[in-house]
Amino acid sequence: MNSHNSSSAISVRNLWKVFGDNPEKIVNSSDADLSRSELREKTGNTAAVKNVSFDVAPGEVFVVMGLSGSGKSTLVRCLTRLIEPTAGSVLFNGEDVLKADPARLRELRRTAFSMVFQHFGLLPHRKVIDNIAYSLEINGVKKIERHKRAQEVIELVGLQGYSEAYPEQLSGGMQQRVGLARALAVDPQVMFLDEPFSALDPLIRRDMQTEVIRLHKEVGKTMIFITHDLSEAMKLGDRIAIMRDGAVVQMGTAEDLIGKPADTYVADFMRDISKSHVLTLRYLARPARPGEATDGPELDSSTIIRDASQVISQQMKPVRVSENGKAIGIVSSEDILKLISGDAN
Amino acid sequence: MISAIKEIKTRYLILIILGVWAVLAIIFKGVATLELATYQNTFVTQTANDAAASIRGNRTQSAAFIYFFNPIRGFISGFVELIRMLIAIPAPNSIIPVLGWLGVIGVVTFFVFLTSNFRTTILAVSLLFGCGLLGMWTDSMDTIAMTLAAVILSLSIGIPLGIWAGLSDRVLKVLTPFLDLAQILPTLVYLAPLALFFLIGTASATIATMVYSIPLSIRITSHAIRSLNNSPIEASISMGATGKQTLTKVQLPMGKQMIVLGINQTVMAALSFVVIAALIGSPGLGGPIINALTIRNVGDGFVAGLAVVFIAIMLDRSTSAAAKTKQTFVPPSKKEIQQRRMSLAGMGIFAIVCIWLSRNVLWAAIWPKQLDVSEIVASNTNTVTDWTTDNLRFITVSFKDFISNYVLNSIQALLAGSPWFITITMIALIAYLLGGRKVALLAIGLMLLIVACGLWYETMVTLTQTLVATMLTMILGVILGVWIGRSQKAYKILRPFLDAGQTLPAFVYLVPILGLFGPSRFTAIVTGIVYSIPVVVKIVGEGIKGVSTTMIEAATAAGSNAWQLITKVQLPAAKRSLLLATNQGLIFVLAVVVIGGFVGSGGLGYLVIVGGSKPELQGKGLVAGFSILLLGVMIDRIAHASARKYGN
Repeated sequence: MNSHNSSSAISVRNLWKVFGDNPEKIVNSSDADLSRSELREKTGNTAAVKNVSFDVAPGEVFVVMGLSGSGKSTLVRCLTRLIEPTAGSVLFNGEDVLKADPARLRELRRTAFSMVFQHFGLLPHRKVIDNIAYSLEINGVKKIERHKRAQEVIELVGLQGYSEAYPEQLSGGMQQRVGLARALAVDPQVMFLDEPFSALDPLIRRDMQTEVIRLHKEVGKTMIFITHDLSEAMKLGDRIAIMRDGAVVQMGTAEDLIGKPADTYVADFMRDISKSHVLTLRYLARPARPGEATDGPELDSSTIIRDASQVISQQMKPVRVSENGKAIGIVSSEDILKLISGDAN
Repeated sequence: MISAIKEIKTRYLILIILGVWAVLAIIFKGVATLELATYQNTFVTQTANDAAASIRGNRTQSAAFIYFFNPIRGFISGFVELIRMLIAIPAPNSIIPVLGWLGVIGVVTFFVFLTSNFRTTILAVSLLFGCGLLGMWTDSMDTIAMTLAAVILSLSIGIPLGIWAGLSDRVLKVLTPFLDLAQILPTLVYLAPLALFFLIGTASATIATMVYSIPLSIRITSHAIRSLNNSPIEASISMGATGKQTLTKVQLPMGKQMIVLGINQTVMAALSFVVIAALIGSPGLGGPIINALTIRNVGDGFVAGLAVVFIAIMLDRSTSAAAKTKQTFVPPSKKEIQQRRMSLAGMGIFAIVCIWLSRNVLWAAIWPKQLDVSEIVASNTNTVTDWTTDNLRFITVSFKDFISNYVLNSIQALLAGSPWFITITMIALIAYLLGGRKVALLAIGLMLLIVACGLWYETMVTLTQTLVATMLTMILGVILGVWIGRSQKAYKILRPFLDAGQTLPAFVYLVPILGLFGPSRFTAIVTGIVYSIPVVVKIVGEGIKGVSTTMIEAATAAGSNAWQLITKVQLPAAKRSLLLATNQGLIFVLAVVVIGGFVGSGGLGYLVIVGGSKPELQGKGLVAGFSILLLGVMIDRIAHASARKYGN
């Protein structure tokens, strides 16, 4: 994983963030393998991000998932250098963000990146419209122009009628819509979302997740999404990286993680997930056993198992699973029952 | 558990030390106490005296004066005169200030209304009117003008530095020792040195006031910047804002409210200092108070003191209302703004009419004699004072005598009455037990320095009074603090008194206390208690209030009664607050006990004051001030170290 992938929107290689004195001494040393408390005991340092590498394709939603203290929030801040990384490289369209001088970094932040925060980070003394227009304002865009653009994104995120309100007059969900609108206002190429919905009520959270999926379909931004909520990760992420103690434990699609957990830590995580709600028929497809009927109805491999279960359980014969028009195997109602009963345990 | 055992052990060890000390003090009574008569000088005080004399002689020749001290003095006194001419002293080519009394009332009406509301405006104007009724109009205006001048200068330095310290850890780190020092430095200490370099007069008084109030404004401003919610700031940076953009568009607007609160604190600090700065030539109400204290005329002092109280309440209410009006970031509606504009315009017209009258009609320019009730107030106060001193003599004198004879004298016998090396050894041992080896060594160093200065005996007298006053403060303060910590109602009842005690200059209540107890050490002690008790009560109260509800519920569920709850749960859990309160109490008491030098408490404070009035003792006064500083640092460090050791 040492060469960068040139077709990626964001390409991260060997990224490290160590807090404390002489942080560069910890990078790539054997001390980095110590547990958090052992390292602090020994050198007084904390390694928040350890040798992380990944690529995010243009238009992809890449989710970083981990429990609190796993380093995920530090990682996302390192990508735009809100926290200065200790070592490594972050390539954006082939340019190393970590080597950008302050002026270039500001320019990238103003035009190419934008961020949504867990606690919204709205300016309490400004109206919604001026909050959304803030990034354009610091970029020197004239008032009429920036208000026009702000109005556009207000409509995009469903905040019509609230442009003159102040943040404290809005509910948490509405405030985060302002946060989303603000991030979209500059028409960025990459959006970083740091646990954007963790502070919201479960019902609102679900709405907002749907909203993000809708926005992603409409504007097609590359997104790096941080969360501690596995079902949120599964729902939104094209690919998911699981972090623990500053390092990426496993990276892949939801099916990869459930189907082939890299270690017991990931497996433990996946236990509470309803597999049938996340996995597609691709996961269950298997070659027909001798004597099994192979002339059942056909379903696409990308169908979520839960959605397919109704159809399949009504069939006397196993269904055929096809991908891009090619048959890849069959799934019987027993297979589905087995999976669902596994969920229940 | 280990620390609890250690604590009990420490307690016994300290008792043993005190016992040994008492025995030694009886055996060596009066030996090597280094007592010095007032007119006697030591080598160090004589040297300081010569140095002071040479500074006085060089004022017109030395480059440091011509190019540094004198221009600063010129600038500041010029600025002060300008402001005084507005309201207090005759303007050029005139016999009255720019604004006569009615004009001042008009302007105050307008500005207080601008920053707060109608009720506060009425209050402010009535209080100002009260100053006139007390026959103190001109002195009051001088006090206000001096305060205003000092506040403007302090804020123009304090706010930018505070913002800088709020943004940069390095700047804060550089400033912190100065801020800490300013906080433990008793006010009396830097008056004399400043007067030496900037002469007695408004410039010295203003600079001294600034030294006192700038640290406060730096502290609060930097705190205002630092305590902001970080996520809007992070968001601003993530969007590519420059540091300046984030400061002006995010941090300052969000921190505005607390910065305004800092202005309020700065104003109150400046006012209380301007009164004391009368000692080095600040015009205004401090003068009459000092005179009254010197000739023990409680009535006259009371009149001037009351005027100070009026001004204090007026300034506090009008500036704190400005800080409190904005509870929310949402601005008022268009209609409200419209209404507000209308009433402001009305106030503006009223102010202009008042100003015009005050510049053209005699009764509106100079406070009319008919409206002066000062003599009635003064004579009545004297009657009341005489009556109380005569009739409450039984209580006041017996209480005073009890404390003086049994508590003060016995502690003084230990500290000042035993040989100096024994006292140093014992204090160092106690410091070691309380705070560890490092602080014990520091204490020894500081005490040896005090001995070298030659004012050991006086320092120990002052230390005695400080310790006794702090002990009494803590007893009273813990009782009241527990009370307000447990009852919201009690908090409501006590709050006005606590606020008043915290904002009033100590000089002001020295007057009635002097009336009650006469000139004595005890008067100084009571003043120290009055001055320090608000802060102690507040800290203890907050500590008690901060004890977790779960802990209290658990203890109540286990069947504890109120007394058990207080002694076994709330006080132990609020230990940190108790330690902090003791530390603050000590420093506050020390600052005021030395002012007791005015009313016969002796000690270092007396030497500072005598040094100010007698040139041949000026050096001794300066060294006394320095000794107060050394004593303050020693007390503060020991208290700090023990708080660190036992605070967890």
